[in-house]
Amino acid sequence: MSDWTDCLNFGLKVTKEASEIVLSAFHRQKEVKLKSSPADLVTETDQRVERVLISAIRDKYPLHRFIGEESVAAGERVVLTDEPTWIIDPIDGTVNFVHRFPFVAISIAFAVNKQTEFGIVYSVVEDKMFHAQRGRGSFLNGERQTASGQTDINRCVVVTEIGSERDDLALSTMTSNIFRLLKLPVHGVRALGTAAVDMCQVATGGADGYYHIGMHCWDIAASALIVTEAGGVVMDTDGSSFDMMSRKVIAASSSAVAVSISQVVQAFPCRRDDEDPARCVCGAAGVTAVNGV
Amino acid sequence: MSDPWQECMDHGVEITKEAGKMIRAALQKDIAVMQKSSPVDLVTETDQKVEQLIISSIRDKFPTHSFIGEESVAAGAPSILTDNPTWIIDPIDGTTNFVHRFPFVSVSIGFTVKKEIEFGIVYSCIEDKMYTARKGKGAFCNGAPIKVSGQQDISQSMVLTGMGFKKDPEQFKTILANVKTILTIPVHGIRSSGSAAVNMCLVACGSADAYYHMGIHCWDMAGGAVIVTEAGGVIMDISGGAFDLMSRRLIVASSRAIAERIAKEITEFPVGRDDTDG
Repeated sequence: MSDWTDCLNFGLKVTKEASEIVLSAFHRQKEVKLKSSPADLVTETDQRVERVLISAIRDKYPLHRFIGEESVAAGERVVLTDEPTWIIDPIDGTVNFVHRFPFVAISIAFAVNKQTEFGIVYSVVEDKMFHAQRGRGSFLNGERQTASGQTDINRCVVVTEIGSERDDLALSTMTSNIFRLLKLPVHGVRALGTAAVDMCQVATGGADGYYHIGMHCWDIAASALIVTEAGGVVMDTDGSSFDMMSRKVIAASSSAVAVSISQVVQAFPCRRDDEDPARCVCGAAGVTAVNGV
Repeated sequence: MSDPWQECMDHGVEITKEAGKMIRAALQKDIAVMQKSSPVDLVTETDQKVEQLIISSIRDKFPTHSFIGEESVAAGAPSILTDNPTWIIDPIDGTTNFVHRFPFVSVSIGFTVKKEIEFGIVYSCIEDKMYTARKGKGAFCNGAPIKVSGQQDISQSMVLTGMGFKKDPEQFKTILANVKTILTIPVHGIRSSGSAAVNMCLVACGSADAYYHMGIHCWDMAGGAVIVTEAGGVIMDISGGAFDLMSRRLIVASSRAIAERIAKEITEFPVGRDDTDG
């Protein structure tokens, strides 16, 4: 059985290096383009960070494959094969980045035989490096972390995101999900604006549950492993097994909490990430230039 | 001409730092949680200890001043604002976050004289960010000046609000209807940190463009209110009228245009007042 520790260490190194680009751009004026909706933003920094990461990794591992958010937006297919594959979100939380709202992450997952071997999420402004390697635990800045272990939904803080959809069905579904959760009741609902960092709150124990509909594989592939290696669980929003291409996820401190969330949360239709590339949501609506924020 | 309230403010900042240390120390230990009005209205011994620390230290130095503190009010003290110099204190804003170790927990102090806020202090103690503002002298985070984003266009804005406990579950419907309405404008996004004072400071430093909330208390708002206005932002009532510290509701924003648009879009629900309810 292969040990991917060298790849992990290389991944951590290039993540830290690429974060310099994000940090130095964070406080500057940004030129912003729209992707699929007026709230689905991309900047030149997203594109640059992805290029830098992919070229550094490709240089060292020329046979490895890539699934990167901005490459997909430019027309590449999302196909996860058995080959060693790096699944990259160069800036998770681009809206936050544009606004200088300080939760912005680089997310890298590495999968072999379609199984995630390690995950890296670096919350750049907070300087929090989360990582996990399959079977070897979950860490924040080198210190082992564990999920809260909470089993009672009524004592939970749940994190979620509304994302970039602005059509009525998506918004109605998402707000009614939060409504049903609040009524259970739960201790509270939070939203930080990045799926990767949100999910890492479950891994640290600071939150007990997270759910999201509409995000992409690159947003959650790394943090899903970071959560499970911290003793948490991941599943689909309908209670079935976690599927990183399904665009739905629940991450929680326990199965009991995950199941409780699945019982109140409904999904709206989303095309799978690995569906027909001509109908892939990212970039399908075209790109429009809008001047900076 | 010397500032009559600068000494108070300096003392306030010092005692707030001590309070922050107490909170961080408590986070290293197990937290025994009690309930106030319901299973999700939490209070801890640390809330109470921190408030005692702050009040006793201030009372020692300024024995004629008045206090409105969240935990004192919970214990039966009145929350009527008079003209007397008054310290309005939330020892832990974000108690739910504190209990869970969700990292936004702040100490908030607003100081009023003749019912006007003279200075505000908000210490986001896990992040170690000390926000301060003295009326007429600007707003600061860890000593560096901060200002609001200046955003005028609501469709380019990021909006904060609260999605926590309400005694009346009917209010959840209105809260979520408002969230949907705001998103539909559209806005860039909605966020929720779990601490009202931290949310206000995020607007003050330009990281978000607006924050609105119904159902918080004067002690949640008094510190952040002057920090936002001194950073160049606006504060108003949910209805679009003048801000009322005892009304249990507010909008803060980077510009009047954004605040007024939010006021126009939001449906209100009754939240009572801090100076009339028991």
